[in-house]
Amino acid sequence: MHIFVNRLKCLLREKENIFWTMAFPLILAIMFNLAFSNLNKGETFQTIELAVVNNADWQQESYLKTALEEASAGNTKLFNLTFTSQSEAENLLQQNAVDGYLEVTAKQLKLIVNDSGIKQSIIKSFLDSYLQTAATVNTILENKPQKPEQLLHSTGERRQYVREVSGTAAEPNSILNYFYSLIAMACFFGGFLGLNEITRIEANLSPLAARINIAPVHKLKAFFSSFSASLLLHLAEMFILLLFLRYVLKIDFGPKSFYVVLTTIVGSITGLSFGAFISVLVKKAENMKIAILVAATMTGSFLAGMMYAEMKYLVAKHLPLLAYLNPLNLLTDAYYSLYYYDTLTRYLQNLGILISFALLFCLGTYFMIRRRKYASL
Amino acid sequence: MIVHVKNLVKRYRELLALDHLSFTVDDREVFGLLGPNGSGKTTAINCLLALLAYDKGEIKIFGRPMTPESYELKRQIGIVPQNVAVYNELTVYENIDYFCGLYVEDKKLRKEFVAEAIEFVGLNDFTDYYPKKLSGGLLRRLNIACGIAHKPKLIILDEPTVAVDPQSRNKILEGILELNRQGATIIYTSHYMEEVEQICSRIMIIDKGRAIATGTKEELKAMITLGEKITIESQYITETQLSELRALPNVISADYKNKQLIIKSGKGSNNLEIVLDAIKREKIQFGKIYSELPTLNDVFLEITGKQLRD
Repeated sequence: MHIFVNRLKCLLREKENIFWTMAFPLILAIMFNLAFSNLNKGETFQTIELAVVNNADWQQESYLKTALEEASAGNTKLFNLTFTSQSEAENLLQQNAVDGYLEVTAKQLKLIVNDSGIKQSIIKSFLDSYLQTAATVNTILENKPQKPEQLLHSTGERRQYVREVSGTAAEPNSILNYFYSLIAMACFFGGFLGLNEITRIEANLSPLAARINIAPVHKLKAFFSSFSASLLLHLAEMFILLLFLRYVLKIDFGPKSFYVVLTTIVGSITGLSFGAFISVLVKKAENMKIAILVAATMTGSFLAGMMYAEMKYLVAKHLPLLAYLNPLNLLTDAYYSLYYYDTLTRYLQNLGILISFALLFCLGTYFMIRRRKYASL
Repeated sequence: MIVHVKNLVKRYRELLALDHLSFTVDDREVFGLLGPNGSGKTTAINCLLALLAYDKGEIKIFGRPMTPESYELKRQIGIVPQNVAVYNELTVYENIDYFCGLYVEDKKLRKEFVAEAIEFVGLNDFTDYYPKKLSGGLLRRLNIACGIAHKPKLIILDEPTVAVDPQSRNKILEGILELNRQGATIIYTSHYMEEVEQICSRIMIIDKGRAIATGTKEELKAMITLGEKITIESQYITETQLSELRALPNVISADYKNKQLIIKSGKGSNNLEIVLDAIKREKIQFGKIYSELPTLNDVFLEITGKQLRD
């Protein structure tokens, strides 16, 4: 407890570590949010502002009127209609208050727009569809006018011959992958803490560690006390990040909160033990160890899709083994599985491999630091 | 006997760092390990503390073999390492409390010990300081406090005064003697012969991992032929005059270099008088004259053929 408390005190005062393990992921999350918020907006449908010139001809167009009114009703309405004069409609268009305006004359239906974007295309498509249907109805009525109600009913029907079956209630969202891989990266930035713990317990790495090895405390007990302090701090940092993502940036983690927390705990342990493992494995100066840790984490993050979401799918398609050997990808995919899939099959598979990695790193570290004497100091 | 080291051998690949090193340290002794940098002092200490694996030999502390699991033995040992080993994120008080806490579990007792250690090293005004804010001397004192706060019976100080100003050095040396007076056995390693001469009751001179001489400073000095070193400042001396001086009774050597005439005499009385008579007789012009008794450096020089600080 004595070691744990003092180590925690040290960790809380190590500004550089706090920056990399907590502040940096938070800053990156904010930057991601700023960068991707426009993409999200782009994907969200916004109701089209459409002005209609309210003249005598329009009043005669009862079918079009009905079609437009139906498309402008309900929660997922297509249009917001504004009925006005021709000059006012022109005025609204010039001020970009509407996306286009519709003018019905005796001879034709005119759509006037300022721009050629997706909204304008939708209006045009809607009108084309209406004109096509109207022409079809007119033709049929002219040739076979026996049951006009039935005809009108059948032309209003839209029959789909392909049925989409979804295994999930969630919508696919590639943007979320960026944030999930960011959490994975933050988990593995905990490796800095794990690396430090080794430096502070291996007598051949620092005078401080030598001093602790001389004290009447079992080396592994001292290590686990310190490691626990690092883990506690890192978990706290990770939960701050999760809460920030969930409640400030409104990142969707799906409905399985317990598993999200579990994944984060496993991720944090894996990250810390990875840092410790690198530290005992690489017999070089501390700076070199840090460089290797950063390089490994950033490469893993890149392959998990943190810089380019498609990368995750490219790896899964062309190098599937690498996808399973990259713990950052496993973590990212575990979060995504929780968000996207209703079942836990894929999630549990990811978590299982991740736990295996954590065990490998922990056991590897244990066997290498359990030596009691050093060949050189 | 507090420490017993017998035939200790330690190799770093081809390099023989400790060559059948043997020594003993008695209760309440201040035992000095003197040797140049790289002579094996710190290696010997690290083996003694069961930090370093060694190839051969036997180490016993308080009559029991020293191993990494000898927690009861470790509890009675205090170490002040060569490099300052404290937490930069903890204050002076917290550092001493932390290291003391590794040995003393009782919080109340620990508090007393920490207060005494702070008082002992004179860091009362700096308890809330972080190590980075301390000067080199104060930092060394903190390093010492962290090693002695738990009141060990055996204290090992590995070059504790490296890069310390003279004032702090004196304070540290006085403190070590005080610890010894309070009942602690001290092992003190240094390459500063003056320090070792000043505080150690028994000294082992070590070179290339071998003990080349062990004894009190008087015993060590008695081992060599040099009795007195006379230095005379002179502008000019002829080869004939130098030969006359070399021929004097009890003179071991007479050398003239950098306008300094250095005459080494063997043990015996009236060495200076004989030399001064000869200088007058030979009409040698001279300035200042110094006479020195042999130092441990002379002992080292005579035994190894090189200076202690080479």
